[in-house]
Amino acid sequence: MSADAATAGVIHDIGYRRYTGQRLGRAGIIRALYWHSLRSAFGIGRGAKAKIIPALTFVVICLPAVANAVAVARGSARIVPYDTYAFQLRVVVMIIYIAAQAPELVSRDLRSHVLPLYFCRPLRRLDYPLAKLAAFITACLIMIEVPLLILYLGTIAQSHGGSAIWNQTKALIPGLLVGVMWAVLLAAIGLVLASLSGRRAYATGAIAIFFFLTWILAGILISVNTRNVVHAVRVAPGAGGGVGPGPGKPVFITQVPTNAAHLSGLASPFTILDGVRQWLGGTSPSPLPGVGSYGALYGVALLVLLAASIGGLAVRYRKAGVA
Amino acid sequence: MSTAIELQNVSRWYGNVVAVNDVTMMIGPGVTGLLGPNGAGKSTVLHLIAGFLPPSRGTLTVGGKPSWRNPDIYKTVGLVPERDSVYAFLTGAEFVGATARLHKLADPEGATRRAIGIVDMAAAQDRRISTYSKGMRQRIKVAAALVHDPTVLLLDEPFNGMDPRQRLHMMDLLTRLGAEGRTILLSSHILEEVERLAGTIQVIVSGRLAASGDFRAIRRLMTSRPHVFLVRTSDDRLLGSALIGSSAVTGVELTGRGLQVRASDYGAFSREIAGVTRDRGIRLRELLPEDESLESVFAYLIES
Amino acid sequence: MLNRTVAAITLRAVFGRRRAIVFGLPPLVLILVTVALKASHPPSGSGWPGHVLGDFGFSVILPLTALIIGTSVLGAEIDDGSIVHLLATPVRRSSVIVTKFTVAALLTMAFAAVPELIAALIASGGAGRFAIGVFAGALAGSMIYNALFVMVSVLTTRAIAVGLLYVLVWEVVLGNFVSGARLLSVEQYSLGVANSIARDSNLNAALNLRTAVIMGAIVTVIALVLATRRLSEFSLKGDAV
Repeated sequence: MSADAATAGVIHDIGYRRYTGQRLGRAGIIRALYWHSLRSAFGIGRGAKAKIIPALTFVVICLPAVANAVAVARGSARIVPYDTYAFQLRVVVMIIYIAAQAPELVSRDLRSHVLPLYFCRPLRRLDYPLAKLAAFITACLIMIEVPLLILYLGTIAQSHGGSAIWNQTKALIPGLLVGVMWAVLLAAIGLVLASLSGRRAYATGAIAIFFFLTWILAGILISVNTRNVVHAVRVAPGAGGGVGPGPGKPVFITQVPTNAAHLSGLASPFTILDGVRQWLGGTSPSPLPGVGSYGALYGVALLVLLAASIGGLAVRYRKAGVA
Repeated sequence: MSTAIELQNVSRWYGNVVAVNDVTMMIGPGVTGLLGPNGAGKSTVLHLIAGFLPPSRGTLTVGGKPSWRNPDIYKTVGLVPERDSVYAFLTGAEFVGATARLHKLADPEGATRRAIGIVDMAAAQDRRISTYSKGMRQRIKVAAALVHDPTVLLLDEPFNGMDPRQRLHMMDLLTRLGAEGRTILLSSHILEEVERLAGTIQVIVSGRLAASGDFRAIRRLMTSRPHVFLVRTSDDRLLGSALIGSSAVTGVELTGRGLQVRASDYGAFSREIAGVTRDRGIRLRELLPEDESLESVFAYLIES
Repeated sequence: MLNRTVAAITLRAVFGRRRAIVFGLPPLVLILVTVALKASHPPSGSGWPGHVLGDFGFSVILPLTALIIGTSVLGAEIDDGSIVHLLATPVRRSSVIVTKFTVAALLTMAFAAVPELIAALIASGGAGRFAIGVFAGALAGSMIYNALFVMVSVLTTRAIAVGLLYVLVWEVVLGNFVSGARLLSVEQYSLGVANSIARDSNLNAALNLRTAVIMGAIVTVIALVLATRRLSEFSLKGDAV
């Protein structure tokens, strides 16, 4: 300290200051809400325990893609289809992921009654749920599309020549589009169900029960409505072995779905999504044995579910201070 | 008279956190205050006594029997917990009535009426508890704790959420109950109320029993800290210079309100002050102890 | 053993919330599905009554209804601490557990077992062995599931999640793939009881009556004993923690 300091005394005004910098408007708030929600969907920014389920489910859903990469490296063709991926696995993983994470985005704010704080900012009423929805759709997209991309990369790594790569790409695109459908519909349903309760346990239960119950129901309806048709095998005479009717005559059984089986897919969002895929030309086999002539009905069902979910969200958040 | 509540070297820890550290105390009839800053372990001690926590070490008995895993103890013990959790879907009368029936009282309706009358909730007893204010909820909890006429009453922060009139009413009630010979133990960090209410205090700081007994007596025991007095006279400066010459005084300070004197020897100072002022012709107008209140006792204990 | 006051409070608590409506939803779905299937005349030989009431009714509807009811008779009280007022009385802890278990079991029988009976009557077209068997199995399941879920409510605050994990992962996924798990599956106990009367292979019952009853009884008793032990040691945290 120089001698001058003693003579020139200054009182520093370090009291309350008004903020005079730039204020981000509505767009800034929506962006922040989106980004923060996306991080919550993967437990980023919270403790380690919040990351367990996102990490586990992500690893599990990538396993088929990894298995495919290993198989392709050993010389076989691609074993996992792009448009259905590993259907049953994807269903189970997404049920668990959505049931665990949708409440993280939505139920916490409801429980701690912070919505009035959000809405006393320049934020329109619908911005909040739409931002949350956009974030959760993005999260589900990551969960669904990244494995598809791993599948793609794992396959083309062993491909030689531009045409092979081009073939893979052509097959990938529909798969990605199917993934987009999945992400949008499931995220919307998950969020609207989660917004019904401020307690995360109840929200998780509601989501898991809804998806699971409808999934099992669809499966049962399909299997119950599927006829077993017995075909006899014609064995050419002289080919050795028994000829003509008698005990031990070989038969095989095909499953023929009835119309009711085609309609049974409407019971579950997962089979609705698959029904739309098949209607739009998807050919890989899945638990839903075809849509018969009801393809358009599946398309309508998808849109109705989506509209109902988004509408439900809008209605839920119309009043601030919703408890 | 038998001691109602007895703790011997009781400790309670959760992993690495020691909530209650080697506390030994005996609580008899009358009103005892359990004092301490937030997080000191008062609630923990109360829950230990109430049988809702097992001691990690030491022995704890209520009326001669341990309280942990001993539901029979609740025949003579009433607990008013701090958490604002009651069966909100019941009315006040139903809640107290259910408690009476759970205690297997011979006349549950009569006991309910009496208990509700004691806490002055008869007007609101048929409304659902979810419509009560915080103070009303506290009172209905006290009614439920009193319905079986317990000899021991444990209250955790009972004045939370009460307005001054309700507080006075509750203090009256507790004084009456204590005078009847019951053992009342209440925890609080609101010092003024406990000051007026409790004859004995137990001070818990950071899990340890820092002091127990009459609070004024406790204060006097701490002769290592100077007592502080505020003196207003006709000539403060002259008195100050005279006092500093006395061995009973460790410091004087001229403040806007008067002369602040720190006395190391309370007794000697109080004997000297009259003589010193008379000898110098100073007019003594006011002599006040500055730190007799529980707050300053507290502050000393926490600092030490 | 049973305490009337505890039962009254529990019933008031369970039906006081809007959530009580949810009890009725899964069974309603079961009945609607059964009616729809019956009306649409699925191919005979598909054995659909057994499939629907077994794979859907016993595997999903019964356990989920029992979960919702079983966790709500005790879970919320422990969660918000209001159970203290119950426990600060000389009422026996075993009495509390048994009373709440009984209330939950009876409610589940009303909201799940009876709809199963109705669905079975519709599906099989009359009060035959099938309907009676399904009803008996559902009654057994109502009891055993609730014993389990009441115990889980006392052991952990995340009772619903644990219950869901048990039903979805242990019973459905593992039970279908790992045969050893079937011995510890309440669904299989219920199916065992049902099948002993109904004798319908479409129920996919893996255990016989004796095994099912013995294991079911063991699970019920152990669950209730553990729940009582844990409730006797119920602790309130102090403000320091």
